[in-house]
Amino acid sequence: MIEAKVSVQAGEFRLHAELQGSGTICLAGKNGTGKTTLLRAIAGFLPIAEGFVRIGGTDITKSSVEERDVVLVTPATYFPHLGVDSHVTWGAKLKGLRPEKDYVLRLKSELGIDYQGTVGDLSRGMQQRVALATALLSSPRAVLVDEAFLGLNDRETIISRYGKLARQASVDVIFSSQDEADGTLADHLYVLHDGLATPKQREANT
Amino acid sequence: MNWLRVIAIASLLLLLVPIFVLLYYGLGPFRDAAGFGTQVIRSIELTLFSSALAVVADFILFTPLAYYLARGNDRISESLVDIPVSVPHPIIGVALLILDSPVTPTGKFLLGLQINFYNTILGLVTALVIMSAPIYVKSMEPYFESKDPSPEEFAMGMGASRLRTLYSVVLPNSRDGLTSASLISMSRALSEFGSISIIAFYVLQFPFYGVSPASVTIYEFFSGNMSGGLNAAVTASAAMILVAIPITLAGHMFRRRAGR
Repeated sequence: MIEAKVSVQAGEFRLHAELQGSGTICLAGKNGTGKTTLLRAIAGFLPIAEGFVRIGGTDITKSSVEERDVVLVTPATYFPHLGVDSHVTWGAKLKGLRPEKDYVLRLKSELGIDYQGTVGDLSRGMQQRVALATALLSSPRAVLVDEAFLGLNDRETIISRYGKLARQASVDVIFSSQDEADGTLADHLYVLHDGLATPKQREANT
Repeated sequence: MNWLRVIAIASLLLLLVPIFVLLYYGLGPFRDAAGFGTQVIRSIELTLFSSALAVVADFILFTPLAYYLARGNDRISESLVDIPVSVPHPIIGVALLILDSPVTPTGKFLLGLQINFYNTILGLVTALVIMSAPIYVKSMEPYFESKDPSPEEFAMGMGASRLRTLYSVVLPNSRDGLTSASLISMSRALSEFGSISIIAFYVLQFPFYGVSPASVTIYEFFSGNMSGGLNAAVTASAAMILVAIPITLAGHMFRRRAGR
């Protein structure tokens, strides 16, 4: 369960946002409405002027980025020097986890990762899939996906599969989208308007 | 007519006049066999060896500082980095001499550990590290700043510390930047005279027993303490320039590549 009530001042931009939910949360809004700002605040990269962030009942508002156990995935979050297999297990190994080989293979298969070379040589879409797999295998409290589903040719399928895999691993996911319709692929939908106040919640998966 | 280009090239040529003069006279009218002699070659070898060691030390000791300055907001540390190169360079030589003097507590301590700077390769390299590290840091810092922080944030989100992120994520993808900064700081080390003329006028250690760094040898020719005089000084200077220029140019070539 993610609970966030945050006020963030990023330059001239001020954001007030409130969201809560477990499973998969879709954060929808047009460009400049504050989706990235909110995700970066939850991940700990932007200071929160007021409010709190709790995940699984643990208050991580004042925790450092490394201690939060919240992974932010964007289209540029990949390690170009690593091979695919080394990459997907990087975060897990860092934490001393040993993911089962079958699970790794299944995760790669579900996300359509069918390449063995160096990640820097992959297409942008494949890099994003590798990053998503890496984040999930590291078993964080939450994965925040900032536009990293964009540009995937089978985007809807991947969002659904990723949500399912995350649920099985007890990892909450928030993903941003410019399309409110993506809310149907999530357990919850929040809509941000013009960087404004409280996001509006409505039922998803209906 | 592009006047800016004309002025820029004219000012650049002005800067390069001393280099052209030394190359012309050193390889031409003033050419002297002593300037290419064994002593000069050994001096250049010592200078290359000690400068290379200094760059290795720069990489090991100062890469974290450059990264810290690039990703942090520590203005005070940023200003302090420039101090060693902003004071007259002989001061650094004197400082090392005092630091390691048998009459000071630090010197007694260091000498007790068999750490001796005076006329040793260690002293020479230490002085070169102090004089080249600010250049190294100032080359690496903007390089790190120019890199997209997203992969680093990704690693930190998975629990990696900043230091772990530096070594596991940033450095493996910084080869051009590291090569460029290393070559540029090595160029700086090759050209050092002020500090090393005090702390390591010559080295009394194998395999460079009795050998002076190249800049000191050139000064020795010039001052008449070594036979050959001005002609040998000019010839040795030209030889040193021929060694240093490819390193400097390679450093800048990698910097352009790193900027892409």
